[in-house]
Amino acid sequence: MRVLVIGAGEVGRHISRTLSSDRHDVTLVDQDPERVEALQGDLDALVMAGNGASPKFLRDIGAAEADLLCAVTQSDEANVIAALAGHQLGARRTVARVRDDDYFGPDEAFARDVLGIDFIIHPERATAYDLAESILLPGAVHVEKFADGRVVIAETIVTNRSPLVGRPLGERRIVRPSFIFGLLRDGRAIAAEPYHQPKVGDHVLVAAAKEDIGPVVAHLAGRAQKARDVVVFGGGRVGLPLARRLERAPDVRATIMERDAARARFIAERLTHTTVLHEEGVGKDALLQYGVDRAGAFVACAGDDRANLLAAMYAKQLGAELCLAVVSREEFTPLVDALEIDAAFSPRLVTAEAILRAVRGENVHSMYLLLGGAEVLEVEADPGCEADGWTVEQAAQRAHTRIAAILRGGKVLMPDAGERIRAGDRMLLFNTHRGVADVQSTFKAA
Amino acid sequence: MRRLQALSPGLNWQLIVPVVGGAVLAVGLAFVLCFAVAATGGDGATVAFGLPALVTVPAGLLAVLSARRLRAMPLRARDGFLAVTLAWLAAAVVGTAPLLLAGTFDRPVDAFFESMSGITTTGASLLDRVEAEPDAILLWRSLSQWLGGVGIVVLVVAIAPATGLAGQRVFYAEMSGFARERLTPRIAETAKIIWAIYLGLTTLCVVGFALAGMGVFDALNHGLTTIATGGFSTRTASLAAFDSVPVELVAIAGMAASGVNFAFYWRALRGRDSLWPQLAEIRAYLLILAGSIAVVTVSLLVSSETVGGWQALRDSAFTVTSIVTTTGFTTADFDEWDDFARMLMVLLMFVGACAGSTAGGMKVIRVLLLFKTAAQEVQRQLQPKAVQVLRVRGRVYSEDVRRGVLGFFYIYVVVFLVATLVMAALGLDVVTATSSAVASLNIIGPGLGEVGATENYGAIPDAGLWFLSFLMLAGRLEVFTVLVLLTPAFWRRTIA
Repeated sequence: MRVLVIGAGEVGRHISRTLSSDRHDVTLVDQDPERVEALQGDLDALVMAGNGASPKFLRDIGAAEADLLCAVTQSDEANVIAALAGHQLGARRTVARVRDDDYFGPDEAFARDVLGIDFIIHPERATAYDLAESILLPGAVHVEKFADGRVVIAETIVTNRSPLVGRPLGERRIVRPSFIFGLLRDGRAIAAEPYHQPKVGDHVLVAAAKEDIGPVVAHLAGRAQKARDVVVFGGGRVGLPLARRLERAPDVRATIMERDAARARFIAERLTHTTVLHEEGVGKDALLQYGVDRAGAFVACAGDDRANLLAAMYAKQLGAELCLAVVSREEFTPLVDALEIDAAFSPRLVTAEAILRAVRGENVHSMYLLLGGAEVLEVEADPGCEADGWTVEQAAQRAHTRIAAILRGGKVLMPDAGERIRAGDRMLLFNTHRGVADVQSTFKAA
Repeated sequence: MRRLQALSPGLNWQLIVPVVGGAVLAVGLAFVLCFAVAATGGDGATVAFGLPALVTVPAGLLAVLSARRLRAMPLRARDGFLAVTLAWLAAAVVGTAPLLLAGTFDRPVDAFFESMSGITTTGASLLDRVEAEPDAILLWRSLSQWLGGVGIVVLVVAIAPATGLAGQRVFYAEMSGFARERLTPRIAETAKIIWAIYLGLTTLCVVGFALAGMGVFDALNHGLTTIATGGFSTRTASLAAFDSVPVELVAIAGMAASGVNFAFYWRALRGRDSLWPQLAEIRAYLLILAGSIAVVTVSLLVSSETVGGWQALRDSAFTVTSIVTTTGFTTADFDEWDDFARMLMVLLMFVGACAGSTAGGMKVIRVLLLFKTAAQEVQRQLQPKAVQVLRVRGRVYSEDVRRGVLGFFYIYVVVFLVATLVMAALGLDVVTATSSAVASLNIIGPGLGEVGATENYGAIPDAGLWFLSFLMLAGRLEVFTVLVLLTPAFWRRTIA
């Protein structure tokens, strides 16, 4: 597959790297010659300097033959123009990253139907929605919905109140249908086996039907109260949509702290019952002033990773129940564990998820990339595929994956090893490595 | 005009002269109408209207047409303020001519007061017996209110296409900050729409009065003054003379409808814009009306043993609507009411109706924003760093608007206090001094005490009449437009 990536920022580099290791032909374009120079030896891809929004340049580098064009530069306008031009030139599919909500609403058909852009990705807004889900589901630090929201996987932290501690997973008491399929330990993702004994500080990944996930997570986490007071640090592109989402949840009160006076006014004008504070400090005193010690959740989502990590660390030390931080740059992720921050969220991964979904074809419906390098995919078993009629165990072995849940005829099944796969099943797969070649060959019709 | 320009080069007479001329022309055309009525009725006022019409129509026309022949000059806000104020003054001055010529008044000061009270839609009168006047004079009083109702300069902008950009300046100087809403890309179109709505409402009201049993002439006059929220009547006793429930109902409906922002009607008719922004103010306006009517009804029942429930409701509904919309029609003498109800009337005079309507007062939206600001100021004591947004029903008002409203409120109160002092210095008792200032500044008409609902302004000394005339003009133009003319900076050459 020929992929053209425009913009060699965090996201552009990340998807280029991932696609290149999936053995696709990647061309990466950036306007900054120095950046291009620095990337030359770093990627198994063609890296070029040039204006990716220029139709002439796009023609020259073969946009007409591209199977996928990803426009992920810093500029919304450049991305939209590049995607438009790529579509006109004959690229099979186009993806554009757009950060500003003024252009396209969340579910607007305009982009696809009129402009011909296949996917519009709003990384910051998607991150904000992920954050909101985590806050609104007590006990969880990460929540991801699959199969149109019918199946939910949650990441939850094992505390010393958790019933999981010191007992093999195979012997756990099951309160509602649910399946623990993965563990995150020391920053690594591992597939959960019945003999694993979770330790305090581990994150466990659990799948359950929409209606069961709440009680399951509350049980696993050993606590059940919902965050009522939420303090949001930073009212930027993540903070504002997050606060908007929280305003729609009943009995959640949000306070949002913003350093920039003009921005603080801007967001205050767009929020009705959130308290907006113009506060310049990140210090402990400032945080204490606004009751961070009593907050049910603290979210650090300012534009600066360092400030986010610092603020989340302070909040944790002061006693905030759940501390989440947005961390954009890959090199900071190890700090998340070290500073005892509950979870980190990355707009970069959100963008990569959306783009990889586009690359990997129609039978991967949605996916979730974990910071530790693992991923959860939603795959449909095609009629006549290799795995039709196999047991779950056989199929999982063949595809080097783990089946976390099956959705069949609108019902969610927690798979045991003997369950047989039928054509039309939608499955959640947990891969501890990234790569879908085996999954494709197992579940896709020949 | 060239000489004027040479005399004061800092002012743009090419803008001012046509606007003032337009106002004079409008008044002149009204004279022609009154002349026709006088000629057919034969009650002796033909000369009183014919002569001024012969002067004003050509003069006004000439001034309006002069705009075309002159080269463009930079347009500045100051020219707009001066043009609008002069246009209103000119209309008031020209309007005295028939009153003097027909012998309605002997003294210029009385005629000027009556004329200014008309054009500003105040409705305060010096006439002892209104019925004694010729029909043409009565019609002129009503027409003067009607011309002033939605704004005489808006009319000029609507009918004189040559004003163009200049139209915008004067339009903005005449309209209140909250009513400065463009309905169409071209200001002349906006002005035309406003006048079309005004004309439509007036027609409905006239028909309504006729159906309610008034004679055609009375229906026409009251229709004109109701929709203008003016308050002049063809009877000394005002609407009490008719003593008819249907008439009062039509009047209440007409006054209440005129208290609504005219832009709202346009949006509602067009049916494709969101009505929410104006609905907030209209809701508050209707709540104030309904709440005050209920409270006054109860107050009247409690304080008086003779008044029945039905009569109390009837008096309360009519009087409250008349006061809130700053019309000034009367049926019951609210000066005879209990002190609570009288005090409430005075407070309601200050509130007024919606911005962009024909009513005076501070306007409901400003009162709403003042309350919000006060509440937020209390809140700020708790959270000094919280960012507070001035918001009414989802519509956000900028901090500039907040500052403007606070400044307006302050100036309004100061003008009112100074006016009260001036009236008291002229020898009037406290109630009369206060209420005459309130009733003039808020362009209502009847006040309390010696200027009460059944009295007229005959007890006010000459100096007081001049001063109240000024106050009416200031109130009609929402204070700032007139006050800037009194600042030294306005007359300095260097300001842009």
